[in-house]
Amino acid sequence: MAALKVSVISPEATLFEGEAPSVTAPAFDGEVGILPLHAPMVTVLGAGVLSIGGGATRFQVEGGFLQVVDDVVRVVTEKASKL
Amino acid sequence: MAKGRELKGRIKSVENTRKITRTMEMVATSKMKRAQDRVVAARPYARALADVIASLYNPELAERFPLLRQPAKESRAAVILLTSNRGLAGAFNANLIKEARTLLARLEGAGTQVEMHVVGKKGVGYFKYINRALAQSRTDITDRPTAADAASLVDALMARFIAGELDAVYVVGSRFNSVLSTPPTADRVLPVQPPAAKGAQKDYLLYPSAEAILTELLPSYVRNAVYRALVETVAAEQAARRTAMKNATDNAGEMLNLLRRTYNRARQAQITQEIAEIVGGASALQG
Repeated sequence: MAALKVSVISPEATLFEGEAPSVTAPAFDGEVGILPLHAPMVTVLGAGVLSIGGGATRFQVEGGFLQVVDDVVRVVTEKASKL
Repeated sequence: MAKGRELKGRIKSVENTRKITRTMEMVATSKMKRAQDRVVAARPYARALADVIASLYNPELAERFPLLRQPAKESRAAVILLTSNRGLAGAFNANLIKEARTLLARLEGAGTQVEMHVVGKKGVGYFKYINRALAQSRTDITDRPTAADAASLVDALMARFIAGELDAVYVVGSRFNSVLSTPPTADRVLPVQPPAAKGAQKDYLLYPSAEAILTELLPSYVRNAVYRALVETVAAEQAARRTAMKNATDNAGEMLNLLRRTYNRARQAQITQEIAEIVGGASALQG
């Protein structure tokens, strides 16, 4: 199965860049899970834990947005800290 | 050997100055590298934001967003001028102030009321000197500006723009094209000029809606524009300081060569004279 290319980007730096089989993100209205072959999507994020690859890498995020297109996931947020 | 001692004193003093300028050059070089890294690190975020905004933007939506409002006439504007806290960077601050003055003259010539927001001791000092009132003067932003600094600068202005108290916001700072090219520029950050979409548009699923996403992203976009200006100005400042200090070091070296040559010539002339005197004295004794 294809993997997702995931990057977590804050204004100051790219906090994470790598491949992962799945991503779980805190969307504005609850958690959203993303697997490969997801349809192109843009969603606003709320506050919560962003988990990449089933919890291998986790970030506390607040606000910002998530973009999925062609198995590339970009999490763009002003407030993110690694857990 | 009065002249010799005087020359020696000058040589010493120029040597000391050269030590200082050389150190400053090296410090500026390393600071510039780090600032440059931050400029590069800030790019993915800007690109991601611009990408998404470009793909969501359409002119019909634009009318509903206060941040995209294009006033027919700019009757009140704010100018944010970014300068450095420290001097000894050549014409860096002078160029920025000149750029700001050009912009001020242009806006005021068109009948716009302009308020100045100045970052950095050098800019604040200048406007104090010409007795112009500042709406905001900030000297607390360091060599490592953060996204929070940018937010604290522009958030209040954004709120006032939305409320209709301001018609435009400009940022005057240095763009960091490369180490040798750091031209002062004036950019309009408000109203937002939506980035142009490039390439084929994807059909995105949008949650909750295009409108809600834009509401969230447009302020980030403005803050990021200011953050980018802050980071680039710091990098440009260090580049300018490095160049200025390199020139100063080179000039000190040239001056030292000249002084040393003069000193040695004077020393040799004195020795020659002494020998001539001794020889003269001895031959006088022999009679």
